[in-house]
Amino acid sequence: MTAQQVRVVAPGASSFAAELTAALEGAPTGDCVVYVCGDVGAAVAGALDALDTDEWDRRAEQVLRDALTALQDAHRVLSAQGGRVVVVAPTVGIPGAPGLVPFVTAVEGVRAMVKSAARQWGAADIAVNAVLVPIELLVPATAGTTAYLPPPALGRPPTVVDVAAAVAAFADPARDGVTGATVVVDGGSVMAP
Amino acid sequence: MNAVELSGRTVIVTGGAAGVGRGIALACGDAGAHVVVASRRENGVEVVDEITARGGAASWSQCDVADGDSVAATVAHAVERTSGLHAVVHNATSNRSSEPHRLEDVSIDVFDEHAAVSLRGAYHCACAARDALEASHGTLLVMTSPAGIEGSATLPMYATMKGALRGFAKSLAREWAPFGITVNVVSPLAFSPAMANAIVEDPALEGRLNQRVPLGRVGDPETDVGRGVAFLVSADARYITGQTLAVDGGHFMSI
Repeated sequence: MTAQQVRVVAPGASSFAAELTAALEGAPTGDCVVYVCGDVGAAVAGALDALDTDEWDRRAEQVLRDALTALQDAHRVLSAQGGRVVVVAPTVGIPGAPGLVPFVTAVEGVRAMVKSAARQWGAADIAVNAVLVPIELLVPATAGTTAYLPPPALGRPPTVVDVAAAVAAFADPARDGVTGATVVVDGGSVMAP
Repeated sequence: MNAVELSGRTVIVTGGAAGVGRGIALACGDAGAHVVVASRRENGVEVVDEITARGGAASWSQCDVADGDSVAATVAHAVERTSGLHAVVHNATSNRSSEPHRLEDVSIDVFDEHAAVSLRGAYHCACAARDALEASHGTLLVMTSPAGIEGSATLPMYATMKGALRGFAKSLAREWAPFGITVNVVSPLAFSPAMANAIVEDPALEGRLNQRVPLGRVGDPETDVGRGVAFLVSADARYITGQTLAVDGGHFMSI
Protein backbone atom coordinates (compact mmCIF):
# COMPACT_ATOMS: atom_id res chain seq x y z
CA MET A 1 0.00 0.00 0.00
CA THR A 2 1.30 3.44 -0.87
CA ALA A 3 1.12 6.30 1.59
CA GLN A 4 -2.11 8.19 2.25
CA GLN A 5 -4.37 5.48 0.92
CA VAL A 6 -7.66 4.06 2.13
CA ARG A 7 -8.80 0.63 1.04
CA VAL A 8 -12.35 -0.53 1.73
CA VAL A 9 -12.76 -4.31 1.88
CA ALA A 10 -16.28 -5.68 2.03
CA PRO A 11 -16.95 -9.32 1.15
CA GLY A 12 -20.59 -9.81 0.30
CA ALA A 13 -21.56 -6.26 1.23
CA SER A 14 -24.39 -4.25 -0.25
CA SER A 15 -23.98 -0.87 -1.92
CA PHE A 16 -22.93 0.50 1.48
CA ALA A 17 -19.25 -0.21 0.82
CA ALA A 18 -19.22 1.77 -2.41
CA GLU A 19 -21.11 4.63 -0.77
CA LEU A 20 -18.67 4.64 2.14
CA THR A 21 -15.71 4.71 -0.23
CA ALA A 22 -17.20 7.72 -1.98
CA ALA A 23 -17.96 9.47 1.29
CA LEU A 24 -14.37 9.02 2.45
CA GLU A 25 -12.90 10.75 -0.60
CA GLY A 26 -10.88 13.76 0.43
CA ALA A 27 -10.75 12.83 4.11
CA PRO A 28 -7.32 13.39 5.68
CA THR A 29 -6.22 9.80 6.23
CA GLY A 30 -2.98 7.90 6.41
CA ASP A 31 -2.69 4.30 5.32
CA CYS A 32 -5.91 2.69 6.37
CA VAL A 33 -7.84 -0.49 5.69
CA VAL A 34 -11.58 -0.35 6.28
CA TYR A 35 -13.29 -3.71 6.66
CA VAL A 36 -17.07 -3.85 6.36
CA CYS A 37 -18.67 -6.78 8.18
CA GLY A 38 -22.01 -6.77 6.41
CA ASP A 39 -22.27 -9.85 4.26
CA VAL A 40 -25.79 -9.81 2.78
CA GLY A 41 -25.58 -13.55 2.19
CA ALA A 42 -24.97 -14.16 5.90
CA ALA A 43 -27.29 -11.65 7.54
CA VAL A 44 -30.35 -13.65 6.60
CA ALA A 45 -33.21 -14.05 9.06
CA GLY A 46 -34.22 -17.54 10.17
CA ALA A 47 -34.64 -19.66 13.28
CA LEU A 48 -31.39 -21.22 14.47
CA ASP A 49 -32.78 -24.73 14.78
CA ALA A 50 -34.09 -24.59 11.21
CA LEU A 51 -30.58 -24.18 9.78
CA ASP A 52 -28.51 -27.05 8.50
CA THR A 53 -24.79 -27.21 9.15
CA ASP A 54 -23.87 -25.67 5.80
CA GLU A 55 -26.12 -22.68 6.46
CA TRP A 56 -24.64 -22.28 9.94
CA ASP A 57 -21.18 -22.26 8.42
CA ARG A 58 -22.15 -19.76 5.73
CA ARG A 59 -23.80 -17.33 8.16
CA ALA A 60 -21.40 -17.62 11.11
CA GLU A 61 -18.05 -19.27 10.61
CA GLN A 62 -17.46 -18.05 7.04
CA VAL A 63 -18.05 -14.47 8.18
CA LEU A 64 -15.33 -14.95 10.78
CA ARG A 65 -12.96 -16.56 8.28
CA ASP A 66 -13.47 -13.60 5.94
CA ALA A 67 -12.75 -11.15 8.75
CA LEU A 68 -9.66 -13.08 9.84
CA THR A 69 -8.30 -13.14 6.30
CA ALA A 70 -9.03 -9.43 5.82
CA LEU A 71 -7.33 -8.43 9.06
CA GLN A 72 -4.33 -10.59 8.19
CA ASP A 73 -4.13 -8.92 4.76
CA ALA A 74 -4.34 -5.53 6.46
CA HIS A 75 -1.49 -6.47 8.79
CA ARG A 76 0.57 -7.57 5.82
CA VAL A 77 0.25 -4.24 4.00
CA LEU A 78 0.53 -2.05 7.10
CA SER A 79 3.19 -3.80 9.17
CA ALA A 80 6.17 -2.08 7.56
CA GLN A 81 5.12 1.51 8.29
CA GLY A 82 2.11 1.20 10.56
CA GLY A 83 -1.38 2.40 9.82
CA ARG A 84 -4.99 2.07 10.78
CA VAL A 85 -7.62 -0.62 10.52
CA VAL A 86 -11.27 0.30 10.98
CA VAL A 87 -13.93 -2.42 11.10
CA VAL A 88 -17.51 -1.37 10.36
CA ALA A 89 -20.02 -3.82 11.80
CA PRO A 90 -23.65 -3.82 12.91
CA THR A 91 -24.71 -2.78 16.41
CA VAL A 92 -26.80 -5.92 16.89
CA GLY A 93 -23.86 -7.71 18.46
CA ILE A 94 -24.39 -5.67 21.63
CA PRO A 95 -28.10 -6.31 22.30
CA GLY A 96 -28.37 -9.54 20.26
CA ALA A 97 -30.86 -10.16 17.48
CA PRO A 98 -33.49 -12.90 17.27
CA GLY A 99 -33.55 -14.63 13.90
CA LEU A 100 -29.95 -13.64 13.23
CA VAL A 101 -28.14 -15.85 15.72
CA PRO A 102 -25.36 -17.13 13.41
CA PHE A 103 -24.55 -13.73 11.93
CA VAL A 104 -24.57 -11.98 15.32
CA THR A 105 -22.35 -14.75 16.67
CA ALA A 106 -19.86 -13.81 13.98
CA VAL A 107 -20.23 -10.08 14.59
CA GLU A 108 -19.34 -10.38 18.28
CA GLY A 109 -16.47 -12.67 17.36
CA VAL A 110 -15.19 -10.04 14.95
CA ARG A 111 -15.35 -7.40 17.69
CA ALA A 112 -13.26 -9.58 20.00
CA MET A 113 -10.87 -10.19 17.09
CA VAL A 114 -10.55 -6.43 16.59
CA LYS A 115 -9.63 -5.92 20.24
CA SER A 116 -7.09 -8.75 20.15
CA ALA A 117 -5.54 -7.35 16.97
CA ALA A 118 -5.33 -3.95 18.66
CA ARG A 119 -3.47 -5.51 21.59
CA GLN A 120 -1.05 -7.47 19.40
CA TRP A 121 -0.38 -4.91 16.67
CA GLY A 122 -0.03 -1.74 18.72
CA ALA A 123 3.72 -2.25 18.94
CA ALA A 124 3.84 -2.14 15.12
CA ASP A 125 1.98 1.19 15.18
CA ILE A 126 -1.17 -0.37 13.79
CA ALA A 127 -4.33 0.86 15.48
CA VAL A 128 -7.48 -1.24 15.13
CA ASN A 129 -10.90 0.13 15.98
CA ALA A 130 -14.56 -0.58 15.30
CA VAL A 131 -17.49 1.53 14.16
CA LEU A 132 -20.93 0.02 14.77
CA VAL A 133 -23.94 1.04 12.72
CA PRO A 134 -27.56 -0.12 12.42
CA ILE A 135 -27.68 -3.44 10.60
CA GLU A 136 -30.18 -2.18 8.02
CA LEU A 137 -27.62 0.35 6.83
CA LEU A 138 -25.30 -2.52 5.91
CA VAL A 139 -27.94 -5.05 4.89
CA PRO A 140 -31.17 -3.30 3.84
CA ALA A 141 -33.06 -6.61 3.73
CA THR A 142 -32.84 -6.82 7.53
CA ALA A 143 -35.03 -3.73 7.99
CA GLY A 144 -37.53 -4.36 10.76
CA THR A 145 -35.55 -7.12 12.47
CA THR A 146 -34.42 -4.79 15.26
CA ALA A 147 -37.74 -3.14 16.05
CA TYR A 148 -37.19 -3.99 19.74
CA LEU A 149 -34.37 -1.43 19.96
CA PRO A 150 -35.09 2.10 21.24
CA PRO A 151 -35.51 4.75 18.53
CA PRO A 152 -32.46 6.94 17.87
CA ALA A 153 -32.26 9.74 20.42
CA LEU A 154 -31.25 12.19 17.71
CA GLY A 155 -34.49 11.52 15.91
CA ARG A 156 -33.07 10.00 12.73
CA PRO A 157 -30.96 7.02 11.75
CA PRO A 158 -27.40 7.66 10.61
CA THR A 159 -26.39 8.19 7.01
CA VAL A 160 -23.31 6.87 5.25
CA VAL A 161 -21.84 10.35 5.65
CA ASP A 162 -22.21 10.07 9.44
CA VAL A 163 -20.44 6.71 9.36
CA ALA A 164 -17.68 8.03 7.10
CA ALA A 165 -17.00 10.84 9.60
CA ALA A 166 -16.34 8.30 12.36
CA VAL A 167 -14.23 6.11 10.10
CA ALA A 168 -12.23 9.15 8.99
CA ALA A 169 -11.64 10.14 12.61
CA PHE A 170 -10.07 6.75 13.32
CA ALA A 171 -8.11 6.96 10.05
CA ASP A 172 -6.82 10.49 10.62
CA PRO A 173 -3.08 10.29 11.34
CA ALA A 174 -3.33 13.50 13.35
CA ARG A 175 -5.51 11.72 15.91
CA ASP A 176 -3.36 9.22 17.72
CA GLY A 177 -3.61 7.08 20.81
CA VAL A 178 -6.89 5.28 20.23
CA THR A 179 -6.96 1.55 19.59
CA GLY A 180 -9.25 -1.32 20.49
CA ALA A 181 -12.16 1.12 20.75
CA THR A 182 -15.75 0.76 19.61
CA VAL A 183 -17.80 3.78 18.55
CA VAL A 184 -21.53 3.37 17.97
CA VAL A 185 -22.89 5.56 15.15
CA ASP A 186 -26.62 4.96 15.31
CA GLY A 187 -28.09 8.27 16.41
CA GLY A 188 -28.31 7.12 20.01
CA SER A 189 -30.23 3.87 19.99
CA VAL A 190 -27.82 1.29 21.43
CA MET A 191 -26.03 3.00 24.32
CA ALA A 192 -24.49 0.02 26.13
CA PRO A 193 -20.69 -0.38 25.93
CA MET B 1 -25.99 -27.78 52.69
CA ASN B 2 -26.74 -26.43 49.24
CA ALA B 3 -28.83 -23.29 48.90
CA VAL B 4 -29.43 -24.14 45.23
CA GLU B 5 -31.94 -26.92 44.64
CA LEU B 6 -31.64 -28.99 41.47
CA SER B 7 -33.50 -32.13 42.52
CA GLY B 8 -35.49 -33.58 39.65
CA ARG B 9 -33.50 -31.62 37.07
CA THR B 10 -31.15 -33.02 34.46
CA VAL B 11 -28.08 -31.07 33.39
CA ILE B 12 -25.70 -31.88 30.53
CA VAL B 13 -22.16 -30.50 30.94
CA THR B 14 -20.00 -30.61 27.81
CA GLY B 15 -16.30 -30.84 28.49
CA GLY B 16 -17.39 -32.11 31.89
CA ALA B 17 -14.50 -34.48 32.51
CA ALA B 18 -11.91 -32.00 33.73
CA GLY B 19 -11.19 -28.49 34.92
CA VAL B 20 -14.06 -26.03 35.15
CA GLY B 21 -16.43 -28.50 33.48
CA ARG B 22 -15.71 -31.08 36.18
CA GLY B 23 -16.31 -28.45 38.85
CA ILE B 24 -19.66 -27.54 37.31
CA ALA B 25 -20.66 -31.20 37.11
CA LEU B 26 -19.75 -31.82 40.76
CA ALA B 27 -21.58 -28.72 41.98
CA CYS B 28 -24.73 -29.58 40.03
CA GLY B 29 -24.55 -33.13 41.34
CA ASP B 30 -24.25 -31.90 44.92
CA ALA B 31 -27.30 -29.68 44.34
CA GLY B 32 -29.37 -32.72 43.40
CA ALA B 33 -29.31 -32.76 39.61
CA HIS B 34 -28.81 -35.82 37.48
CA VAL B 35 -25.63 -34.77 35.69
CA VAL B 36 -24.80 -36.06 32.25
CA VAL B 37 -21.05 -35.72 31.97
CA ALA B 38 -20.41 -35.28 28.26
CA SER B 39 -16.85 -35.80 27.12
CA ARG B 40 -14.98 -37.19 24.17
CA ARG B 41 -12.76 -39.38 26.31
CA GLU B 42 -13.82 -41.93 28.86
CA ASN B 43 -12.34 -39.91 31.72
CA GLY B 44 -15.85 -38.50 32.14
CA VAL B 45 -16.62 -41.76 33.95
CA GLU B 46 -14.31 -40.69 36.78
CA VAL B 47 -16.44 -37.58 37.37
CA VAL B 48 -19.58 -39.71 37.33
CA ASP B 49 -17.98 -41.93 39.98
CA GLU B 50 -17.15 -38.86 42.10
CA ILE B 51 -20.72 -37.63 41.94
CA THR B 52 -22.27 -40.98 42.76
CA ALA B 53 -19.77 -41.54 45.60
CA ARG B 54 -21.16 -38.37 47.17
CA GLY B 55 -24.68 -39.74 46.87
CA GLY B 56 -25.58 -37.89 43.68
CA ALA B 57 -26.84 -39.12 40.32
CA ALA B 58 -24.86 -38.96 37.11
CA SER B 59 -24.11 -40.76 33.89
CA TRP B 60 -21.48 -40.46 31.20
CA SER B 61 -22.19 -39.88 27.55
CA GLN B 62 -19.42 -39.94 25.02
CA CYS B 63 -19.83 -36.71 23.11
CA ASP B 64 -17.91 -34.84 20.44
CA VAL B 65 -19.64 -31.45 20.29
CA ALA B 66 -18.24 -30.87 16.81
CA ASP B 67 -20.44 -33.74 15.61
CA GLY B 68 -24.17 -33.00 15.53
CA ASP B 69 -25.17 -36.66 15.68
CA SER B 70 -22.99 -37.17 18.74
CA VAL B 71 -24.61 -34.24 20.55
CA ALA B 72 -28.08 -35.46 19.58
CA ALA B 73 -27.23 -38.87 21.05
CA THR B 74 -26.16 -37.24 24.31
CA VAL B 75 -29.42 -35.29 24.51
CA ALA B 76 -31.36 -38.50 23.81
CA HIS B 77 -29.36 -40.25 26.54
CA ALA B 78 -30.34 -37.52 29.01
CA VAL B 79 -34.02 -37.53 28.11
CA GLU B 80 -34.35 -41.32 28.09
CA ARG B 81 -32.57 -41.86 31.40
CA THR B 82 -34.27 -39.12 33.38
CA SER B 83 -37.46 -37.11 33.54
CA GLY B 84 -36.34 -34.75 30.78
CA LEU B 85 -33.63 -32.22 30.09
CA HIS B 86 -33.52 -28.95 32.00
CA ALA B 87 -30.13 -27.46 31.20
CA VAL B 88 -27.20 -27.72 28.84
CA VAL B 89 -23.91 -26.16 29.88
CA HIS B 90 -21.65 -25.83 26.85
CA ASN B 91 -18.22 -25.66 28.42
CA ALA B 92 -16.07 -27.57 25.93
CA THR B 93 -13.31 -25.73 24.09
CA SER B 94 -10.67 -26.73 21.59
CA ASN B 95 -7.55 -28.43 22.93
CA ARG B 96 -5.65 -25.58 21.27
CA SER B 97 -7.43 -22.91 23.31
CA SER B 98 -4.50 -22.15 25.59
CA GLU B 99 -1.74 -22.21 22.93
CA PRO B 100 -0.39 -18.65 22.51
CA HIS B 101 -0.32 -17.38 18.92
CA ARG B 102 -0.26 -14.29 16.72
CA LEU B 103 -3.41 -13.32 14.88
CA GLU B 104 -1.54 -12.71 11.64
CA ASP B 105 -0.20 -16.29 11.72
CA VAL B 106 -3.47 -18.15 12.32
CA SER B 107 -4.30 -20.57 9.51
CA ILE B 108 -7.84 -21.35 8.46
CA ASP B 109 -7.29 -24.91 9.69
CA VAL B 110 -6.49 -23.64 13.17
CA PHE B 111 -9.47 -21.30 13.07
CA ASP B 112 -11.67 -24.25 12.12
CA GLU B 113 -10.35 -26.33 15.02
CA HIS B 114 -11.35 -23.60 17.47
CA ALA B 115 -14.70 -22.94 15.81
CA ALA B 116 -15.67 -26.60 15.53
CA VAL B 117 -15.74 -27.02 19.30
CA SER B 118 -16.73 -23.58 20.58
CA LEU B 119 -19.13 -22.30 17.93
CA ARG B 120 -20.37 -25.29 15.98
CA GLY B 121 -20.55 -27.09 19.31
CA ALA B 122 -22.86 -24.38 20.64
CA TYR B 123 -24.98 -24.61 17.49
CA HIS B 124 -25.21 -28.40 17.83
CA CYS B 125 -26.10 -28.19 21.53
CA ALA B 126 -28.82 -25.64 20.84
CA CYS B 127 -30.38 -27.52 17.94
CA ALA B 128 -30.26 -30.91 19.65
CA ALA B 129 -31.65 -29.68 22.97
CA ARG B 130 -34.22 -27.16 21.81
CA ASP B 131 -37.36 -29.32 21.99
CA ALA B 132 -36.40 -30.85 25.33
CA LEU B 133 -35.60 -27.44 26.80
CA GLU B 134 -38.89 -26.01 25.58
CA ALA B 135 -40.73 -28.87 27.24
CA SER B 136 -39.00 -28.19 30.56
CA HIS B 137 -38.76 -24.37 30.23
CA GLY B 138 -35.08 -25.02 30.64
CA THR B 139 -31.89 -23.15 29.99
CA LEU B 140 -28.80 -23.13 27.82
CA LEU B 141 -25.57 -21.81 29.27
CA VAL B 142 -22.34 -21.04 27.42
CA MET B 143 -18.97 -20.18 28.91
CA THR B 144 -17.07 -17.05 27.97
CA SER B 145 -13.99 -15.24 29.29
CA PRO B 146 -12.76 -11.68 29.82
CA ALA B 147 -10.77 -12.33 26.63
CA GLY B 148 -14.06 -12.46 24.77
CA ILE B 149 -15.03 -9.05 26.07
CA GLU B 150 -11.75 -7.12 26.01
CA GLY B 151 -9.65 -9.15 23.56
CA SER B 152 -6.42 -10.99 24.29
CA ALA B 153 -2.79 -10.15 23.55
CA THR B 154 -1.82 -13.82 23.60
CA LEU B 155 -4.89 -15.87 22.60
CA PRO B 156 -6.74 -14.00 19.85
CA MET B 157 -8.56 -17.07 18.51
CA TYR B 158 -9.73 -18.05 21.98
CA ALA B 159 -10.91 -14.46 22.47
CA THR B 160 -12.72 -14.51 19.13
CA MET B 161 -14.59 -17.68 20.09
CA LYS B 162 -15.51 -16.41 23.53
CA GLY B 163 -16.72 -13.07 22.14
CA ALA B 164 -18.73 -14.87 19.49
CA LEU B 165 -20.43 -17.01 22.11
CA ARG B 166 -21.76 -13.88 23.80
CA GLY B 167 -23.35 -12.78 20.53
CA PHE B 168 -24.76 -16.28 20.15
CA ALA B 169 -26.25 -16.30 23.65
CA LYS B 170 -27.73 -12.80 23.56
CA SER B 171 -29.40 -13.42 20.21
CA LEU B 172 -30.64 -16.87 21.13
CA ALA B 173 -31.98 -15.52 24.44
CA ARG B 174 -34.22 -13.19 22.43
CA GLU B 175 -35.12 -15.87 19.91
CA TRP B 176 -36.05 -18.50 22.49
CA ALA B 177 -37.68 -16.27 25.10
CA PRO B 178 -41.15 -16.79 23.60
CA PHE B 179 -40.69 -20.52 24.15
CA GLY B 180 -39.77 -20.12 27.82
CA ILE B 181 -36.13 -21.09 27.31
CA THR B 182 -33.45 -18.90 28.89
CA VAL B 183 -29.91 -18.50 27.55
CA ASN B 184 -27.06 -17.06 29.60
CA VAL B 185 -23.29 -16.76 29.73
CA VAL B 186 -20.78 -17.32 32.54
CA SER B 187 -17.31 -15.82 32.58
CA PRO B 188 -15.23 -17.79 35.12
CA LEU B 189 -11.84 -17.33 36.70
CA ALA B 190 -10.80 -20.64 38.25
CA PHE B 191 -7.99 -23.11 38.45
CA SER B 192 -7.87 -25.35 35.41
CA PRO B 193 -5.36 -28.00 34.34
CA ALA B 194 -3.82 -25.44 31.96
CA MET B 195 -3.47 -22.89 34.75
CA ALA B 196 -2.03 -25.49 37.11
CA ASN B 197 0.59 -26.39 34.53
CA ALA B 198 1.44 -22.72 34.05
CA ILE B 199 1.90 -22.33 37.81
CA VAL B 200 4.22 -25.34 37.90
CA GLU B 201 6.31 -23.63 35.22
CA ASP B 202 6.12 -20.24 36.96
CA PRO B 203 5.40 -20.62 40.69
CA ALA B 204 5.12 -16.84 41.17
CA LEU B 205 2.18 -16.76 38.75
CA GLU B 206 -0.35 -17.71 41.40
CA GLY B 207 0.69 -14.81 43.62
CA ARG B 208 0.46 -12.36 40.73
CA LEU B 209 -2.98 -13.64 39.81
CA ASN B 210 -4.19 -13.39 43.39
CA GLN B 211 -3.04 -9.76 43.54
CA ARG B 212 -5.10 -8.91 40.46
CA VAL B 213 -8.31 -10.41 41.82
CA PRO B 214 -10.18 -8.10 44.21
CA LEU B 215 -11.27 -11.04 46.36
CA GLY B 216 -7.61 -12.04 46.57
CA ARG B 217 -7.63 -15.52 45.08
CA VAL B 218 -8.26 -17.51 41.93
CA GLY B 219 -11.60 -19.29 42.07
CA ASP B 220 -12.29 -22.93 42.68
CA PRO B 221 -13.95 -24.71 39.72
CA GLU B 222 -16.47 -26.45 41.94
CA THR B 223 -17.20 -24.32 45.00
CA ASP B 224 -16.99 -20.96 43.23
CA VAL B 225 -17.76 -21.37 39.52
CA GLY B 226 -19.78 -24.57 39.79
CA ARG B 227 -22.13 -23.14 42.39
CA GLY B 228 -22.65 -20.00 40.32
CA VAL B 229 -23.58 -22.15 37.36
CA ALA B 230 -25.83 -24.31 39.56
CA PHE B 231 -27.82 -21.20 40.44
CA LEU B 232 -28.20 -20.20 36.79
CA VAL B 233 -29.51 -23.64 35.82
CA SER B 234 -31.93 -23.72 38.75
CA ALA B 235 -35.59 -22.73 38.66
CA ASP B 236 -34.73 -19.71 40.81
CA ALA B 237 -32.98 -18.12 37.81
CA ARG B 238 -36.04 -18.35 35.55
CA TYR B 239 -36.26 -14.56 35.00
CA ILE B 240 -32.62 -14.16 33.98
CA THR B 241 -31.81 -14.38 30.27
CA GLY B 242 -29.31 -12.91 27.86
CA GLN B 243 -26.93 -12.04 30.70
CA THR B 244 -23.24 -12.56 31.31
CA LEU B 245 -22.39 -13.48 34.91
CA ALA B 246 -18.74 -13.02 35.82
CA VAL B 247 -17.76 -15.55 38.50
CA ASP B 248 -14.24 -14.31 38.93
CA GLY B 249 -13.74 -12.67 42.31
CA GLY B 250 -14.28 -9.22 40.80
CA HIS B 251 -11.43 -9.66 38.31
CA PHE B 252 -13.50 -8.23 35.47
CA MET B 253 -15.95 -5.43 36.22
CA SER B 254 -16.37 -3.84 32.80
CA ILE B 255 -19.34 -5.75 31.38
